[in-house]
Amino acid sequence: MAMRDLVMGGAACAVPGSDGASSSANPMGGLADSLLGGASKTQERLRELPGLAGPGQSADFGGRPRTSLPGTEFENEFDQRASANNSQFLRGFGRIDEGGFSDAWGDAVSGRMMPPVVQHDRQQEEAFRNFESLYPGLEARGRSPLPLDAPPQRVLAGFFRSFLDSSQADAPFNAIPLPELGLSEADKRRIRDRSSIMARHFFADRGEEFVNARVNALLHSLDIDNSLRFREPMGGRHPELEGYWNEAIGGRPGGGRLPDTWAEDFHKHYKGPEPGGWAQEFQAQHSTDSWVDQFGEHQQQMATRGQYRNGEVSNLAALEQTRSLVDTLAQNQDPKFQNSKFLQFVSKMSRGELIVEDNQVKPGVTNDWVNEYQERHLPPGEQWAAEFTAGEHQHRGDTWADEFARRNQEAPSTSDDWVNDFSRLHVQDWADEYAEQIAKNPYGDGSHESWLDSYDRFVGEQTADMQGRTESSKFMYVFADQNPYVGHPNPLKEGQELFRRGLLSEAVLALEAELLKNPDNSEGWRLLGITHAENDDDKQAIASMVRARDADPTNLEVLLALGVGHTNELEQAEALRYLAGWLQNHPRYSKLVPQDVSTLSHSEVIQMVNEAAMVAPEDGDVHTVLGVLYNLSREYDRAIQSFQRALELKPRDYSLWNKLGATQANSARSEDAIYAYQQALDLKPNYVRAWSNMGIGYANQGKYEESIRYYVRALAMNPKADNVWDYLKISLSSCAARWDLLDACERRDLEPLQTQYPLPSVSVTQQRCSCTHCSMGYTQH
Amino acid sequence: MTGLDWQRRLTEILAFSIGFLKNKVFKTAFNGYAVRFSPFVENRLAVATAQNFGIIGNGRQYVLELTPNGIVDVVGFDTADGLYDCTWSEDNENILVSASGDGSLKVWDVAAPPMANPIRSLEEHTHEVYSVDWNGIRKDCFLSGSWDDTIRLWTVDMPRSLRVFAEHTYCVYSAVWNPRHADIFASASGDCTLRIWDIREPRSTLVIPGHEYEILSCDWNKYQETVLVTGSVDKSLKVWDVRNPRQEVTRLLGHTYAVRRAKFSPHRENFIGSCSYDMTVCVWDYRAPEDALLFRYDHHTEFAVGLDMSTLVDGLLASTAWDESVFVWQQGMDPRA
Repeated sequence: MAMRDLVMGGAACAVPGSDGASSSANPMGGLADSLLGGASKTQERLRELPGLAGPGQSADFGGRPRTSLPGTEFENEFDQRASANNSQFLRGFGRIDEGGFSDAWGDAVSGRMMPPVVQHDRQQEEAFRNFESLYPGLEARGRSPLPLDAPPQRVLAGFFRSFLDSSQADAPFNAIPLPELGLSEADKRRIRDRSSIMARHFFADRGEEFVNARVNALLHSLDIDNSLRFREPMGGRHPELEGYWNEAIGGRPGGGRLPDTWAEDFHKHYKGPEPGGWAQEFQAQHSTDSWVDQFGEHQQQMATRGQYRNGEVSNLAALEQTRSLVDTLAQNQDPKFQNSKFLQFVSKMSRGELIVEDNQVKPGVTNDWVNEYQERHLPPGEQWAAEFTAGEHQHRGDTWADEFARRNQEAPSTSDDWVNDFSRLHVQDWADEYAEQIAKNPYGDGSHESWLDSYDRFVGEQTADMQGRTESSKFMYVFADQNPYVGHPNPLKEGQELFRRGLLSEAVLALEAELLKNPDNSEGWRLLGITHAENDDDKQAIASMVRARDADPTNLEVLLALGVGHTNELEQAEALRYLAGWLQNHPRYSKLVPQDVSTLSHSEVIQMVNEAAMVAPEDGDVHTVLGVLYNLSREYDRAIQSFQRALELKPRDYSLWNKLGATQANSARSEDAIYAYQQALDLKPNYVRAWSNMGIGYANQGKYEESIRYYVRALAMNPKADNVWDYLKISLSSCAARWDLLDACERRDLEPLQTQYPLPSVSVTQQRCSCTHCSMGYTQH
Repeated sequence: MTGLDWQRRLTEILAFSIGFLKNKVFKTAFNGYAVRFSPFVENRLAVATAQNFGIIGNGRQYVLELTPNGIVDVVGFDTADGLYDCTWSEDNENILVSASGDGSLKVWDVAAPPMANPIRSLEEHTHEVYSVDWNGIRKDCFLSGSWDDTIRLWTVDMPRSLRVFAEHTYCVYSAVWNPRHADIFASASGDCTLRIWDIREPRSTLVIPGHEYEILSCDWNKYQETVLVTGSVDKSLKVWDVRNPRQEVTRLLGHTYAVRRAKFSPHRENFIGSCSYDMTVCVWDYRAPEDALLFRYDHHTEFAVGLDMSTLVDGLLASTAWDESVFVWQQGMDPRA
């Protein structure tokens, strides 16, 4: 359920409006007591645990008495501690809600959404809902609906994410005013300490001031008092250095000395100067003066910072600090950062596309943010946004300098001090770095544009389907690690021959060898794509075809194959694009198609292909395309008709028979499908895809035994067809009592399966082929 | 059931199983923090996670298994605060310890029912526990490193720590046993030092001011008992030989943000794995004459903070990150493939 202190109100703070689950009347306490009993009972429980010796038997643990551990402390205090410890032990359970630990566990496992425990008023719920509906990307990032993930926490999660992202991309950290979250004091302390420490890890080279500003902004937004921050590492570091210093001077133990046998072993090998020598070097590196100086300055800096901190950073000031980094957001070229959905969200916020009003996240007035910017009337609390708007229009590379100067005027002594401290402390000079960045990427140049572009692209992707860019990143061709055909004098010819003989997996390797040699060989890629498709590997097939298209963008077979491949992957927009491209590039039909095919709807494309079919009713390919298009819109009857028509024109095209079969199977005509697959297999006995499709056809009819035979046959030809192993597993578990074979399946051991389910005999006919898919003009198909 | 229903159901099942098979990735509910292969079962691993990036919220300790169907969770233990690290017992294949943000150490028995877990909650640290490591030689004790600046020595049969090592002056981020000497361990701290300890000694035996910035991680070479690696906020890794602590053996540059974890390979003497706030996982050969960086894996989309190398399977790597994912892959392969 919700965080413990949100629920239980922590040690000192009850959540307003919490539904009575306060710590005093905690039913969980009672439950835990009854389950675990008192202190003594818990002790027994511990003793019973398998593999673990209880306190009374500790001497047996691991065959060694614990006292064999050298340097042990506290041994005789053990008994007194036990009961005190026990209450803490119980506390671990008490933190889970009334349902009890086991329930919570069960819920967590089953993934059931539990009602939010923290009660908040209607308005806030509304705000969360808006937040989510406006920014579905947050959900899409894979945040699963967890019982612990009540709405307020999702807001928190997003908020922290923005904080973290801001470290990486120089993103602005927009400290949005958050709804009342009911954080307990303990939680606030936790957030304060942890965010401070973590911020130092990822903001390290920006300097302390930067870290403080970020953390201040975070804490202020969460309404956390930041005057009691966790110690900073610098504060601890200097006394530590002092220790080294003394050790180096006095040669006291602990630093320079290497005591004991183990260390003496090392000592023998120790070729360098005498112990303490390193300390001298250390001294040389950090001479007395510099260290003292640094320490003094550090103290001064601490004092200054204290002043700054106690001077109460107003919300506005914190946000101003944030705002000054908005510009740099545009400068990070890393696509990872540019693709970060939260960064895009933050950017939306900063540009006013989303505004926070009465604790609700709302869309800006128009989509055109520039207009919206100039026209939007801001609520008083959102003054920072107005400031940013004003700044946006005059921002140049010197913005930072301006702002720096401004702040200088506001608090001259403070700024001077910390700037001086910084440069003398040899902390990496972030001002320089910043200036450098600005110089490299003057504001408003291409990099900024590119970020905006990528943002637009993101928006485009949200509404439209996948674009080419995502396609190419999704389908990357993966070459085999070990390829015996590398170095072969003519791998293309070998590949074609292997393909002809139906040795598809071997053909893949030979063709890959060719393509490693000649990466722009369109024909090689095309044949590789076909081979993969027949070998039942759609992903690689599409990847190959994409490369073939890159090499030759007008190849009709490639376009058709890509259309089919994407149809198989249920990617409608992509499929449509390629099928329209096929039409556009076809010499006979191109005049039927407008210049720009990218915007055509499904029905428009179908209409055009139908027109083409009227123009050239004897062209089987047109009917094939039509069949694929109808598959896309799940009009299976029409698709079947189209494929049947195409088959009348090209009865020896085994891939058409396979398409027909797949369509029939999809429309629950599995018996017809089996016939079609059989036709395909008669034409091409090594057609792995048809074998596995046949198996699916039988499985669909509940004939699992039959289906297993076909899967096994397909796997015998291509053991790498991962999805077929899966189908096989399903059939094996469906036809009961074959757990032994399931085991073989898990091991990918085909032998027992082959013995148990011998290959079905088929009539194999070898004829010449007239289909367009076979580059060789032979058939095997 | 009609043919169509069967078809649909089958399609669903297929999509489900194929999805697992194709993705050698496990999605966690919270942000990943640490991953550890079991020293007993080659296809088992433990993953410590924390909500809201570990800043506030709950935690969950996962035990995952690698199956032909991809990575599946065997057990998930929920905790009231985020978990930052975990370690398997070297003595009992079902025992696991997690380091919690509330300062406690949770001891789990994977074989016991959920009601019985955690079988221990060891509560002494006054701040977040950031590191746990089980002794691989003695097998009866483990170390915890905490933001309260101390390191504590524990056995599971004792509810109190056996010893406190309090010399660091800032958060301890890592405390790791020497793989050859039962009584030796190293610790890395935000006070910018690496310390070497011998538990037979009252004080640390060696202090190495290793980096200019905080040191977040350290690990021992599994073949050379005197060699260590450190990873720091200064974005670099340094390899040290305690026989000559004045100067690092080598410095490995290539990460663009703080190095969160560094680990020596259990199989290849010179190989080091590292992960970083720059979201990448790197594998290095620290003795390579030219380019020490062998592999850079770019599969995570948020800070990469957890990394382990299997002791039972050569070259098997696992990583986790704040992108709520756990990847397991063979070195040299694409983790996403």
